[in-house]
Amino acid sequence: MSQPPHTHGPHTSRLSRLVNIGIPYLWLGLFFLLPFVIVLQISVAEPALAQPPYTQLWEWVEDGLLQIQINLQNFMLIWEDEIYLAAFLNSLWVAFVCTLICLLLGYPMAYAIATAPERRRTPLLMLIILPFWTSFLIRVYAWIGILNTNGLLNHFLLWLGVIDEPLQILHTQTAVYIGVVYSYLPFMILPLYANLTRLDPTLLEAAADLGCRPLRAFLRVTLPLSMAGIIAGSMLVFIPVVGEFVIPDLLGSPGSLMVGKLLWTEFFSNKDWPLASALAIVLLGTLVVPFVLMQRLQQNMDENQT
Amino acid sequence: MAATPERRLLEPWQDPKAAPYVRIERLTKQFGDVYAVDDINLNIFKGEFFSLLGSSGCGKSTLLRLLAGLEYPTAGKIYIDGVDVTRVPPYSRPVNMMFQSYALFPHMSVEQNIEFGLKQDRLPRKERTERIAEMLDLLKITDLRKRRPNQISGGQRQRVALARSLAKHPKLLLLDEPLGALDKRLRENTQFELVNLQERLGTTFVTVTHDQEEAMTMSTRIAVMEAGQIMQVDTPTAIYEFPTCRFVAEFIGSVNLFEGKVMASEGNEILVEAAAGFTIRMRSYQPHPLGTPVTVAIRPEKMRLCPAYDPNGVNQIKGIVEDIAYLGDVSIYRIRVGEGKLVEMTLTNIQPRTEQALTWEQEVAIEWSPTSGVVLSE
Repeated sequence: MSQPPHTHGPHTSRLSRLVNIGIPYLWLGLFFLLPFVIVLQISVAEPALAQPPYTQLWEWVEDGLLQIQINLQNFMLIWEDEIYLAAFLNSLWVAFVCTLICLLLGYPMAYAIATAPERRRTPLLMLIILPFWTSFLIRVYAWIGILNTNGLLNHFLLWLGVIDEPLQILHTQTAVYIGVVYSYLPFMILPLYANLTRLDPTLLEAAADLGCRPLRAFLRVTLPLSMAGIIAGSMLVFIPVVGEFVIPDLLGSPGSLMVGKLLWTEFFSNKDWPLASALAIVLLGTLVVPFVLMQRLQQNMDENQT
Repeated sequence: MAATPERRLLEPWQDPKAAPYVRIERLTKQFGDVYAVDDINLNIFKGEFFSLLGSSGCGKSTLLRLLAGLEYPTAGKIYIDGVDVTRVPPYSRPVNMMFQSYALFPHMSVEQNIEFGLKQDRLPRKERTERIAEMLDLLKITDLRKRRPNQISGGQRQRVALARSLAKHPKLLLLDEPLGALDKRLRENTQFELVNLQERLGTTFVTVTHDQEEAMTMSTRIAVMEAGQIMQVDTPTAIYEFPTCRFVAEFIGSVNLFEGKVMASEGNEILVEAAAGFTIRMRSYQPHPLGTPVTVAIRPEKMRLCPAYDPNGVNQIKGIVEDIAYLGDVSIYRIRVGEGKLVEMTLTNIQPRTEQALTWEQEVAIEWSPTSGVVLSE
């Protein structure tokens, strides 16, 4: 037992264990499970002109009679109205494309940092982390200045003579991709870096010794062994991007619909809390399945590597 | 050329006409200011089990990595089977290496690990399957073929690593501390297995080790290395019995060293006036001019108790037992002879411990034969 000798008997240690395990569970229950239950409850309510603006789940109608009202219309609406399905598909697609771009950009960067001499790794990592020191919102706003028809990028391209008239990038889907990739790239690089530094360099020597050229050695040894990092990074990018609201709102076109934006509109503009909650629940449901699958896959990978 | 079962007249390294299989010429490897390998010349012959022996940092691993192509030399040349491979990258060399950490691919099964090198050679599937079966059988790991490296024991991993490095039938197999990660008992068994395997395959093995016992049991020849240089290359017997320098004498086993001056020479024997205050008579085949300083090296097991002490006898000295170390099979006695000079003597414990003849502070006389040691000049 790794218990320090001064604890008093098994009773104390059981109590302290209970507290140790209890605190995180209490935290998760209070701040994750409880809000989820509340959202779930709102999602089966009806909108009402009240404070808060939805009907209660149960009501005492008269003496001893409890009325429970579960309204599934919100979910049916989401299923039937094409706008919601389109928004979901669009969000998933944007998240998928952005994850892919982040992976293609992030992998070489993570690899370069992981294989750099040790004294140069920390400054390089700092460069990746540095943007976090500025508010996310401000950085996205800054992109408006860059992508504007009157912005830095267009001025630069005009000056170069590559284009004759300013490009319309801001308020297009391209701007959303740029903004998302820029914002989420570090979340791809960091887990990949953590994974790649753990790779035993003698494995590559062994591959070379067995007749494997460097590129093949990368494909057959480095890449499969970094799969856990690829999955972790992809999840960290994909999942928040599906529900992303700020970037499409600030940089995207008003016509393109993403779930996050839709949710915001239902909640704040239409004051339809139940529908917004139902959207949130469906969004969560869509993400939980791939998340669990990926998690399981990643666990397998990790076992392999140790 | 088929190996003949009868004893060869000359071992290849004794035959001036024999062509070396691996030829290392004036090889130097520098890391910054440090000479890891310093101007080494070495010939290794076909079918040898050659060991590079030395303490850590002596350059033995660097030499092995230079042979594998994992490092390129600063200067010098390496020829394997007559071909200059000095600048050939590792993936094109007819050489395979068994790594100290085994470096098995964790994401592949035992079978896939063995197949890895064969796939790089683009061997057809049928041949690959045969070769894998042959290797699994050779190292008795057929049952493990579907397992992953993290699902098997250390000893089994060692076998897989060996199978993987042998699968390509390399001209030269390099082994970096092949038994280093095994526990003592397993190590002893594996030593013999490794030698048997090597004799059966006829592949030339070059191994790196810091364990002298391992080098002694397994090798046809040993190169003792120190500070990037080779101090002596010879058979295990010759290295032990006839070290050519003080470093080798002290590095392998324990040894009593007597410093002195040559005071007379009679036929092929010389008389040495030892600094400790007695005269030593030794057989020596090299001429030693009178008055040259020499060191006489005698192994502790070459010492024996002198039944009848004669002050004029050959190599007989008196002393007092100062320390006794009982090791079970043998005991080591430290005997004080003369001023500040301790002599080590090992005696086999023929009788049980309680019956031992010698005890602390006992006065004893010891002797040794003029032929059971060497005279080191320098």
